[in-house]
Amino acid sequence: MAWAEAGVAATDGGAAPCGLRAPLAGEAAPTGPACTLLAAALALPGMLPAAALAQQAPDRGVLTLRYLDYHDWQPGASRMSVQSPSLYLLKPLSESLALEASLVYDAMSGASTIAFNTMSGASGLGVTDYRTAGDVKVTKYFDRYAIGVSGAYSHERDYISRAGAVELRTWTEDRNRTFTFGIATASDAINPTDRPPEEDGHRNTTDFLFGVTQVLNANAIVQSNLTYSTGHGDFNDPYKIADRRPDHRRTLAWLTRLNQYLPAPDATLRLQYRYIHDSFGDDSNMVEAAWYQPLPAQFAVTPLVRYYTQSSAYFFFGPPLGNGFVPGEPYTTDNRLAAYGAITLAVKVERAFADGWSADLSLSYYQQRPTWRLFGSGSEGILPFSARWIGVGISKAL
Amino acid sequence: MPRRRLLAFAMRARRLRLLPVLLLVVVAGCATFDPPKPWEKGQLAKPEMQFDPDPLETKTTLHIYTSKEGAAGGYGVGGGGCGCN
Repeated sequence: MAWAEAGVAATDGGAAPCGLRAPLAGEAAPTGPACTLLAAALALPGMLPAAALAQQAPDRGVLTLRYLDYHDWQPGASRMSVQSPSLYLLKPLSESLALEASLVYDAMSGASTIAFNTMSGASGLGVTDYRTAGDVKVTKYFDRYAIGVSGAYSHERDYISRAGAVELRTWTEDRNRTFTFGIATASDAINPTDRPPEEDGHRNTTDFLFGVTQVLNANAIVQSNLTYSTGHGDFNDPYKIADRRPDHRRTLAWLTRLNQYLPAPDATLRLQYRYIHDSFGDDSNMVEAAWYQPLPAQFAVTPLVRYYTQSSAYFFFGPPLGNGFVPGEPYTTDNRLAAYGAITLAVKVERAFADGWSADLSLSYYQQRPTWRLFGSGSEGILPFSARWIGVGISKAL
Repeated sequence: MPRRRLLAFAMRARRLRLLPVLLLVVVAGCATFDPPKPWEKGQLAKPEMQFDPDPLETKTTLHIYTSKEGAAGGYGVGGGGCGCN
């Protein structure tokens, strides 16, 4: 996914060693591109270049390899397993041009969640599927703005998605405030494996983003994004009995994030809150908190907790099968559109090595329960859903 | 979309659950608003202060949530869809 990432340049650059000290009496404050040296000067082990230095092209590139092992289950039944290797590349093409690319391969096996007794098509009977997805983004940096253009392609046996996006970032003269504007469009083709070609579906989606990032002080930065998405076409799940969804979907998402460095423990607190209003009716709230704690010997640990709660889609009906079904009206038994709350507990351990190498291991546990829903009742008759995923990553600054 | 329908949609979206928002505002409000000079931004340049220090991990994690939850989005635009939801 091409991020409308809005970060802040370390400094504005200049002849003086930028960022290492305040200017002396009579000395001009540093300005200009030389302060990218700050990023290089801070290129200690683990200090990987990041595209999130979003006001200037990175000085160095980075290559990241990651492997994800995912498994989910419901009471008494194992469900999906996914093994997913992936790759990410950040490469400066010039002093003002940067390339980002990623490639993901998902190997999926198992069965999707059981919606009480609903089984149809591939759902519930066991599936073996794959997904290959890639995206490329090129960003051109100017003095007070940057323009990024990206494309993405995703292919599964029954699904093809093509997308493109344009992003504009502009910042104030002191580089403490950044405005981000983004627009993206996606065209998806749905080809169910158990249906004749004439029943193939199609849908188009357009997204609009507006974001503001503000440096609060030397130790804190906040970002707030509004994203509006509108889609038309086939949203049905072809593998669920009688699944019939509206042919249009609009969502408005508001995401706010705060990163606060705390000098006393030498740690960083990362908070985020997101609200989504969805025309399907599954409005949601999400809060997440993570604590980045450096440890001796170039280690760092990041525990994380996330809470998510959503209302049900207005056309979701719980058991028994057929409850609420009206011919010609929207209807679904998809548990993902039920009302529930969900909690994620995760921890990540990472270590930096010499010469720009770093490695990390992350463990995550996730569970959905109708009884955990806030601001209303959870859907009845829905089994708890649990998942765990383990990620291993290795990175090298280029 | 007609402007009137867009406004109605936005108005309905204002049924916000304000408690988490207020909490975040309070936390942010505790931070001093003192925008730094260029030579004071060393801490901000560190990876742990970025909103997405590991783009690949963020990408895979958000894909999991997109495929297992009803609502998705807010982190950026582009990237396309999948048959997972």
